[in-house]
Amino acid sequence: MTTADVYLQQVINGTSLGAMYALLALGFTLVYGILELINFSHFNVFMVGSFVGLGMLELFGVEPNAAALTGFALIGVLVATFAVTMLASGLLGVVIERVALRPLRNVKGPAAMITTIGVSYILFNLVLLGVGADAKNFPSPLPSISFAIGGAVLRLREILIWIASLLLMGGLTYFVQFTKMGKAMRATAQDPDAARMMGVEVDRVIIMAFFLGSALAGAGGLMFGLYYNLTSYVIGFTTGLRAFTAAVLGGIGNVPGAMVGGVLIGLIEAFGSYWISAAWADVIIFSILVLVLVFKPAGLFGRLAPNKS
Amino acid sequence: MMTRRSKLMAASAFAVVAGLAFAHPASAADTVVKIGIDSSLTGGDANEAQLVTNGALMAIEEANAAHLIKGVKLEGYVLDDGTATAGQYDPAQAAVNARKFVSDKAVLGEVGPEMSGAAKAMIPIASWANLAMITESATNPAMTDPAQAAQYRPNGKPVFFRTVATDAYQGPNLANYFADTLHVKTMYILDDSGAYGEGIADAFQAQAIKKGIKILGRDKLDPKAADYTSVFTKIKEANPEGLFYGGVLQAGVKVVKEAYDILPHTIKKAGGDGLVGAEMFTGAGYPAAEGWYATQASPHITEDTSAKDFMAKYKAKFNKAADDYTITAYDGTVVLINAIKQVKDSGKPLTREAVRDAVAAAKVKTLQGTVAFDENGDIQDKVISIFQAHEDKSDTSCKLEDDGCQFKYIGVAPQS
Repeated sequence: MTTADVYLQQVINGTSLGAMYALLALGFTLVYGILELINFSHFNVFMVGSFVGLGMLELFGVEPNAAALTGFALIGVLVATFAVTMLASGLLGVVIERVALRPLRNVKGPAAMITTIGVSYILFNLVLLGVGADAKNFPSPLPSISFAIGGAVLRLREILIWIASLLLMGGLTYFVQFTKMGKAMRATAQDPDAARMMGVEVDRVIIMAFFLGSALAGAGGLMFGLYYNLTSYVIGFTTGLRAFTAAVLGGIGNVPGAMVGGVLIGLIEAFGSYWISAAWADVIIFSILVLVLVFKPAGLFGRLAPNKS
Repeated sequence: MMTRRSKLMAASAFAVVAGLAFAHPASAADTVVKIGIDSSLTGGDANEAQLVTNGALMAIEEANAAHLIKGVKLEGYVLDDGTATAGQYDPAQAAVNARKFVSDKAVLGEVGPEMSGAAKAMIPIASWANLAMITESATNPAMTDPAQAAQYRPNGKPVFFRTVATDAYQGPNLANYFADTLHVKTMYILDDSGAYGEGIADAFQAQAIKKGIKILGRDKLDPKAADYTSVFTKIKEANPEGLFYGGVLQAGVKVVKEAYDILPHTIKKAGGDGLVGAEMFTGAGYPAAEGWYATQASPHITEDTSAKDFMAKYKAKFNKAADDYTITAYDGTVVLINAIKQVKDSGKPLTREAVRDAVAAAKVKTLQGTVAFDENGDIQDKVISIFQAHEDKSDTSCKLEDDGCQFKYIGVAPQS
């Protein structure tokens, strides 16, 4: 491998990782934008999503060491698995909002945020009890196709991650910018009281934000499994914290910011591990979090936070 | 309302219980002696922890059934040093467990812990209480190093004993095998930043350099991170002939997976005993696990005729195949029980100190041979066995989660 090949490979590694962070970061941003709430249960919605995906693939008979699927069977299984995983994770997000957060909606202070930490640990321990502590092999229906670009290798799973996250992020952007519900969401983010007076049903907007954010986290969890061929009950916290950093980096509450932030964090992690050492990846990423908070608290693209005066 | 049948059942259940009580009239008066058993039942090494814990419990049960120690009923006191947040052994939890053992007066000895990182936290606490600990698999050399006596035996005498060799043999002997038998010239080294992982990687690296192997790089991994692809891209660029990973399975399964995905398949890959566990095959699985070398810091016993009965009994009882560290755990428990028996039979009061002294002087015939310790608590016969993971589809009796048969025995590693 020449140095150029290595750089290209690290870009491939970093953007694939970053695409997953971006999907997860969007959930933080959507909820923060509307409620000014940092939703820590989001970490483990992502983790639950990867297990839902695993269950779906097993239902479709995708086993470790089974023959890879091709053509329409592959696309069908993937689309169905993504759809069910996203729906299930989205509903989980809605349930969390309804059961644990809505009763606290008007409580001032950090009560709601602390509740999300509690919910996060409940999910974490439920999965631990349910599936056990060991890492689970995540069967892949993907054929092991790869393309050589010089000395770098681009695998089908990376292409899949890029395509799926571009589609999802494109869909989200369209939804937020061009639908009535999206308009209502933006209005609520700007000024919930004014939005309510204009006839926006704020409760529905909040539910929608949780549903969309959690569905994207579920998709991220499924991608995680397909990418690493592994999942475990611990994946939520490390991945989630980095995605949260991505959201802050891009400007929390800012949808395009979260996407760019995710990819940036992925690239920083890949090149940090390459230039310095893997053990330093967290030091680098979280130093960036601190630096951003100190010098550019609104993030690279500015915060689109509620206008609460 | 009780039906006639349930009345009958209740009556017969009562009869059975009463019968049992009468069969051992002395049992009510027996002193209860507890044996602490500590392993990492939560996290990435859970399966192996269950195997060794069951091994220890089996030895206790057998001793009770045979009424080995008159007037004493043995009880296993099982604690878990793994935590959900650590995802593997957690030194803080291990320290809490050590205090639990020490504060329970009935606990006269401990089997375990399974992990070196846990042992380092437990030993200083056990030392002040003179509580003998016999580990089945904690192989980091520091704990029995006389130069570190201030840390690990603040109360004077060693309390920590092992029925396995240490990484001062495990790492270097495997390095000898890589240099002399596999003729590997260049290597890359990884560890999982844990006490065990760093130690064995250092020991491997030092001996490899001595043997003329060129070390192309060394990296530490965060065991909880998911993504090692950029590290493996770096390793691919360095293009070594061999890869050594020091660490346990939380990072291990990801290392095995991603190494297979990214590195050329001709690279010879190895780890220490930290890779020996069901997760290697249920988590990483074939084809990624294929060809990985691993060691055990004990003789290979499970296929020996001396262990045939044990293996059959264990399988019948727990429906899982025992591996070598199940046997070292069983052996350690036997040594501890023997020490308790010796003290009891000599008529001296059953104290932790007396049990510790009896363990230190032990010479007990066990499944792996005669176990005796040197003045630091290390086992006298130090043997390192080498294994290689290999999928044998024709062997249907070997289940995927039975690491004992998925790792095929290669031989004893060359001693320097």
